[in-house]
Amino acid sequence: MSVEAIAPKKRNLSFNGDDVRRMCTAIAGGLVLAIMTGPDGAISDPTYGVKTSLLTGHVVGYLVIGVVIGCLLTYRAKVRDGSWRRVRTTPKRTLIERATSFSAIGRGVLLAVTAVAVAIITLIFADFSGPVAANKMSIHEIVHQFLYTRTYGYLILALALWFVVVNQAMRSIPRPLFLLGAVITILLFALTSDPFLPARFSWRALNPGVDNSLFHHWTTYLWLIIGLAVAVSWMIKGDATRAPRPPRRSHALVVTPSMRFLTYVLAGFVVFEAPKFMSLYWQISLYQQIGVFCLLAIGLNIVVGFAGLLDLGYVAFYALGAYVTAYFSGALPLHPPFQLNPFFIIPFAIVFAMLSGVLLGLPTLRLRGDYLAIVTLGFGEIVYVLANDWTQVTAGSAGTGAITNFSVHLFGINYAWDPVNPLSYYYLLLGILIPAIFLFDLLNHSKVGRTWAAIREDEVAAQSLGINALKYKVMAFAMGASTAGVAGVFTAVKVGHLFPNTFILQLSISILVLVIFGGMGSIVGVLFGAIVLQWLPSYLNFHSYFGFQEADLYLYIGALLIVMMIFRPQGLVPSRRRRREILDSEEGLGSADSLGPITAEQPS
Amino acid sequence: MFNFLLQGIFTGLIFSLVALGYTLVYGVLRLINFAHSEVLMTGGFAGYFFLHYTIGIHAVPSTLGATIFYVVIGVIISGAGGSLAALLIERFAYRPLRRRNAPKLAYLISAIGASYFLLNLFGKEFGRYPVATSQPFNNHVVATIWGGQITMYDLVILIATLALLFSLDRIVYRSKMGRAIRAVASDMETASLMGVNVNRTIASTFALGGFMGGAAGFFLAINQGISNNMGFKPALFAFTAAVLGGIGNVRGAMVGGVILGIVMFTPIYWLGQPWLEEVIAFSVLVLILLVRPTGILGERLGRTA
Repeated sequence: MSVEAIAPKKRNLSFNGDDVRRMCTAIAGGLVLAIMTGPDGAISDPTYGVKTSLLTGHVVGYLVIGVVIGCLLTYRAKVRDGSWRRVRTTPKRTLIERATSFSAIGRGVLLAVTAVAVAIITLIFADFSGPVAANKMSIHEIVHQFLYTRTYGYLILALALWFVVVNQAMRSIPRPLFLLGAVITILLFALTSDPFLPARFSWRALNPGVDNSLFHHWTTYLWLIIGLAVAVSWMIKGDATRAPRPPRRSHALVVTPSMRFLTYVLAGFVVFEAPKFMSLYWQISLYQQIGVFCLLAIGLNIVVGFAGLLDLGYVAFYALGAYVTAYFSGALPLHPPFQLNPFFIIPFAIVFAMLSGVLLGLPTLRLRGDYLAIVTLGFGEIVYVLANDWTQVTAGSAGTGAITNFSVHLFGINYAWDPVNPLSYYYLLLGILIPAIFLFDLLNHSKVGRTWAAIREDEVAAQSLGINALKYKVMAFAMGASTAGVAGVFTAVKVGHLFPNTFILQLSISILVLVIFGGMGSIVGVLFGAIVLQWLPSYLNFHSYFGFQEADLYLYIGALLIVMMIFRPQGLVPSRRRRREILDSEEGLGSADSLGPITAEQPS
Repeated sequence: MFNFLLQGIFTGLIFSLVALGYTLVYGVLRLINFAHSEVLMTGGFAGYFFLHYTIGIHAVPSTLGATIFYVVIGVIISGAGGSLAALLIERFAYRPLRRRNAPKLAYLISAIGASYFLLNLFGKEFGRYPVATSQPFNNHVVATIWGGQITMYDLVILIATLALLFSLDRIVYRSKMGRAIRAVASDMETASLMGVNVNRTIASTFALGGFMGGAAGFFLAINQGISNNMGFKPALFAFTAAVLGGIGNVRGAMVGGVILGIVMFTPIYWLGQPWLEEVIAFSVLVLILLVRPTGILGERLGRTA
């Protein structure tokens, strides 16, 4: 950095038209947000909704948000284009340096304050995710909640996390002690927060015929063993061989293989263990709202993220899978030749969804990618209409009969999934979801994935190298469709009776937004998007926060899609390649989708 | 049977109006405007409020002059509403992306976002249930041809739609604005080098298509009332009509709408299930894509002129 660059410079405080426009947009955005969250209107008094959201106190908070965002945007733009330069006389200090620069007393105070803050946040979190929703603010309820929902499980976990963060930052505790603490924490968490504590240490826990404890307990042992193994190996390896690391200057996180492995272990631990401590509402929500939609989202990610196509009728394949399940359960007016256990319906659902995907994709993708969008939109509507009106086959809007449940009758084990216990379905779904995640990740890094990337980035060049673009596009489309088919089986079996209203076309858009929000093309991003965006409505709905109404969900989704496309098209957790493609295509280098060129001549 | 044929023709004329919006935007930007269904809906709501506040709930004007007045002004107001919606969509969902030269996928996604935003905003502000519109005329049977009945409504649609289609054809092929639109459709860069204001031309394309869509919304509102999702299905059919006639081709959209209307409604006479018309329309769409993807009259706004 040259001397000139860091020399203090006089701030130029003049504003131009761009700044005014930015500010107006931000404030208008705040007003729109106020209308979006405001009360409903009615056609008999058309101005009621706007009046009550803009002319009352309701608007104030959103106006403040608008002004603050406008100021932030202006500041960022000014700093970026160089008219306001941040003056920095001392070199940048990292977070660790800042945290260690306190005196001993200051450090102690900091520790205490952060520990209390973490504990309070955890309590609130545990409390609000507990089963008793109403009247959170009474101390009696909180205590009841604390005991009833095993809040101390959360508490121990959060304090342990805080401990890890602080100690890694301060490097004040020797490693063996630290590891010992970690192991004890895991043990305590596993033991104390288990709602089935007495049953855990009996052989009954391993007998699946007695109760559902098989699915509750074996994973705990698994995680304990893995955690112990990791800790022991780490301790044996020690850090004597490691050279002292040079102090890091940047905030960028360097991901080492062991960190990656630990992240997997931690994520797996949370995924397997956390559901046991949730209330029934959240367990159902976890399966039906989050788990199934994770599967749908990673399926749609193949179409939108990997192949760069747009599928707006994705829910049609989901419905297809569900209705195939109903058909082979004998729940439809149209009787099947033979009835099947849902486990054996899964291949049928995959084949049906895949076939319909190929049949739909072949004529459409031959042409231009954007036709696929509207053809799938039409297909989604047709499938809904058939499900709703073709009463001779699909039972129509009255709903289907009872659908057979999952059950295992193998080697003397007789286990039937219990609709009352969502966790058993959840673990079964994980058995499909986790292999699917790894499979799709492998696929993306295989020849097929590279071909998709080539088609996305420059279709003409890819074809000139002998790639059959149509084949790979149809393949992606069919694979996305078959994933939705599997998700359909899981939904159908859990719900028990199908109604066409489960498969309204709007659902496709809400799956699309999961992919877009997290970051198309990045599986981690898509899962993040699915978990956050599916959890949030349930949470808001459950506690009726912010006057949230479920009917307004698509209003927010629509706004989110526009905002994401304008400000962050690559998503919140983007795939590096996809992000670069989008930026490159904005510079005029190649494309970022396989929808065909935007201005070039069409082939005749 | 003739009744179904006539119904097909008159509904098809409305599809033509909507298809024009798709075709104009596609010709200029090479994009399917997914938010066009909400243009239709906005037009319908504008028409509803106009009729509601001028005619009232139960009164029906009896004189011919009053009918003409209400229909003409209603079409203009609905069209203006549709134009406004289309311009807003262009301004907020398309222009920021165009300024950044975003990939095509981004346009489609932001358009579908705009569509759902408007759909649900109207649902929130005006209720999510259908409401009947005040009638600007008495909908009696005017004539009977071979058992097919032509009502006043059909007559109004016929006259108004033909007038709108004719004037649009004049605008696109004879006026200065139309020449600019065709120039941009043919080659955006060259057109801008020749002194055409590309941004303004694109906006005027949206406004023009929006006017037609809004007018179609007015007729739909009179016939079946308004609701926040009134635009979805007609827009889907209209897109099929645009592809059938050759997307990007203005005259193709007009022809395609009527043909689609006939193909959709006539078989219902034999099949008897009204919901099958959607299945038929969808099958038509897939069939055209299989057999003749360029449509009946061929593609390209700039070329065919």
